Amino acid sequence: MKNQLKILRAMRDWSQAELGQHLDVSRQAVNAIETGKYDPSLPLAFKIARLFGRPIEEIFDDEFDGGTDDGQ
Amino acid sequence: MNLTEAPMTDSDDIAQSNGRRIMWIIISTLGIVMVGGAIAGYMAEHNAQGGGPLGTAGIVTFSVFAALIAGLGYVIWTNSRKLKANSEPLTKREKLNRNILLGCGIGGGIVGLTISLNSTLTASSDADAIDLFLNSSIPPLAALLLAFFWGVIMPVISWVWHKRAIDEQEASAYRDGAFYAGYAYLMGAPSWWFLWRGGLVPEPNGVAIFILFAIIWAAVWYWKKYH
Repeated sequence: MKNQLKILRAMRDWSQAELGQHLDVSRQAVNAIETGKYDPSLPLAFKIARLFGRPIEEIFDDEFDGGTDDGQ
Repeated sequence: MNLTEAPMTDSDDIAQSNGRRIMWIIISTLGIVMVGGAIAGYMAEHNAQGGGPLGTAGIVTFSVFAALIAGLGYVIWTNSRKLKANSEPLTKREKLNRNILLGCGIGGGIVGLTISLNSTLTASSDADAIDLFLNSSIPPLAALLLAFFWGVIMPVISWVWHKRAIDEQEASAYRDGAFYAGYAYLMGAPSWWFLWRGGLVPEPNGVAIFILFAIIWAAVWYWKKYH
């Protein structure tokens, strides 16, 4: 899943390790989320959203194509 | 502010990953255990040929083994120091995680080496090297202590590790490792068994299967966590 985490982190001039400390996860976890190798759980996604004061959908992009829910 | 216009700081890309250091510590620990196994095998062969004092070739061989153990020990020591000296801020969770992994690695190495050396000292003249390393008898007290550690202490350490030390990304990596290792076991062990029944390979060895299972699990966990 694409996301804006690296940009948001850079805006606060935090390292991955520092962001990890704010979220109580490892630097590797932050790196995996930033590079799209790992999708965070819903609780962690909310924690990230609260930390940066933005809605989840502004940080994470599920690349939904805009179609209707029934796939049409 | 548009998010795409934000400045980028990539100090993390410069920082060396602790994962590589942990990998070297794990590999070196396994290497020491394997050298221990090689020593056991060498002594078994030596005893099979009549035993007695080691000749020049034997002394040279043991010097190589000793140098290998010293070299691997040095790798563990230097990487442990770098790991400790790394200024990367760690959460309490990460510190506990690191300490548990290091403790298990060092403890496992010491236990493996002790068993290997014990096998060497008690090797009979007709012992097979692999069988000696995997299945040779150990003193009852040592067996009780090892079984207590593996069956009682390890579950407690594992519980603490899962509840207090790892985060959700590592838990996911660990589950992936279990998934791959489980399938490797479900498919690999019966294949070995069928081939043995067909007289094509040696009899399945439970300890070897366990070790392969653990190695696959650990390798996938490592790959998923650090790459």
